Amino acid sequence: MNILFALATGIMFAMGVFQLLRRDLIKAGMGFYILFTAINLLFLAVGAYNGSVPAYVDASSRPAGQPSDPLVQALILTAIVISFGSYALLLGLIAVSSRRFKTVDSDELDQLKG
Amino acid sequence: MPNVLLIGPIFIPLAFAALGVTLSRYRTLQHGFGLIGGVLAWLSSIGVLLENLQGNILTYRLGGWPPPFGIVLVGDLLASVFAVMATTVVAAGILYALGCKDKCVRYPAFMPLFLAMGAGLNGALYTGDIFTLFVFIELMVITSVILVAISDNRLGLEAAIKYLFISAMGTLFLLIGIAALYATFGTLNMADIGRLLANDQRPLLAQAAAVLLMCAFLLKSAVFPFHFWQPDFHTTAPTPIGSMLSSVVVKVGIYGLIRMMTLMFTAEAPLIQELLIILGIIGIFFGSLGALRTYDAKRLLAYSTFGQIGFILVGIGWGTAAALSGALVYAVNHAFVKSSLLMITGVVSSRTMTKTARLSEIGGAGKALAVTSGLYFLGGLALAGVPPLNGFVSKVALARGGISAGHWLALGLVVGAGVITVLYMFRTWQWIFQQPPAGELKLKPVGDSPLAPALLIGLCVLLGLYAAPLLDIAARTVSQLSNPQLYIRAVLGG
Repeated sequence: MNILFALATGIMFAMGVFQLLRRDLIKAGMGFYILFTAINLLFLAVGAYNGSVPAYVDASSRPAGQPSDPLVQALILTAIVISFGSYALLLGLIAVSSRRFKTVDSDELDQLKG
Repeated sequence: MPNVLLIGPIFIPLAFAALGVTLSRYRTLQHGFGLIGGVLAWLSSIGVLLENLQGNILTYRLGGWPPPFGIVLVGDLLASVFAVMATTVVAAGILYALGCKDKCVRYPAFMPLFLAMGAGLNGALYTGDIFTLFVFIELMVITSVILVAISDNRLGLEAAIKYLFISAMGTLFLLIGIAALYATFGTLNMADIGRLLANDQRPLLAQAAAVLLMCAFLLKSAVFPFHFWQPDFHTTAPTPIGSMLSSVVVKVGIYGLIRMMTLMFTAEAPLIQELLIILGIIGIFFGSLGALRTYDAKRLLAYSTFGQIGFILVGIGWGTAAALSGALVYAVNHAFVKSSLLMITGVVSSRTMTKTARLSEIGGAGKALAVTSGLYFLGGLALAGVPPLNGFVSKVALARGGISAGHWLALGLVVGAGVITVLYMFRTWQWIFQQPPAGELKLKPVGDSPLAPALLIGLCVLLGLYAAPLLDIAARTVSQLSNPQLYIRAVLGG
């Protein structure tokens, strides 16, 4: 289970970094979101480190095994809200700038140079 | 219960921001309530500081949950000093916004966003929980990005996109660091992490977390390898916002570094300090020389912030009690000086037709503005560290720290680089306020009100003439920081 989490986080991180470094701002924005999802997965892995059984269930129907940590899921919820908000804001800014500067190529957005 | 005071600096601005949203049709009323919110937050942060000076560390448990599990707000001296600085400058910024003629100030969202930025700033300082620190920093980043994107300067949008990408990477590192700490210790409370790090042998993951947290805080303060977004972002911002960003928002990273080194990673601190001296000196020279070759009055001040943050970092890096208190004094004084200087530059550039701060276009524009000229002159003196202004006090406090650390090479470089500040401040003052304008210069009859920078400059003069209280508070802060058990006991009890 742990190796699965590690692999998934690593692959998503690599994808995110690759996308983030592209010149197209929209693709870079996607990379931004993929990176945050990778972090959420990392948080989940941190909590499920000890077990993958839900923390709050009826004592009679509780499956065998060690309960997982509920706090990280609350953290992930907060992180998802924040990353979603910043992603929406980022796409909005890119939309406005594509109209204002007539480009979504990050190399052409260089009027602040100098 | 004095502990309730702690929620004031965070939740009063948030409440007034919400009120401002409902009053979006009545701009005068909204702005008036914004100023009231800023002043109330300032008063409550001063209340916390006064309570701290009695020797108490205030804690407030949100929702009544006991500390290692619930979120706790902690007001110790370090947090209070930074928070009083932040709320003072934010209240002055709101006052400036009331007299600002920019178009973006009249948008209904401006004042609520401004207040929310202040709330995020204070929250990041007062929180005792590292995940809540992330949440408040994100609140601050998102609101400031929106405020810069709506700037009258059309390039503000480009700077905002750039900063959102970069700071999101910074918070990403912060999140990975938090995850690493949580995986190691199973707690998010900073006092609890500090306690466990003091008792435990040091797991590798915790040391990795120290590096990640440090990267995130250095990026927030725009220190050398992570600095390149800062001049663009601070220059294109509307004047009231830019003066916040360049003075108090960059200090959150400094606060985080000090907190991390004195409370949590005390064993790693010497290594971090050596790094900070090097990065600080690079920052001082890079920033000062960058300011010297910049021909835009606001951009010059942004570069100068980069240099001044370097001075503070060197002070932290020296690490002796005198040097750390010198760095604190420097941080507080720099916030007042830099915000007032940026506001004065905004006052002058608001009189020009294009609202630019390019020296070629505003050169000579300040010749008719005698009061503004005097204020800029005083601010320049304060930034350069000429007695009897507060900049002199902070430079002396820092130099005393360098002598106590016996770090002669760094001390020589720091004092030498201070001279460059004199050069670029006086070149700019002369250019704007002294020399005759090149060609025909058409000026608007009314510009922004210089009331807010005048108050801040008055504070600078006052802090220069009566420096003893601030120096005393800084010394007491450092003695409190040198014993992290005080903080841990106040939060966790026992």
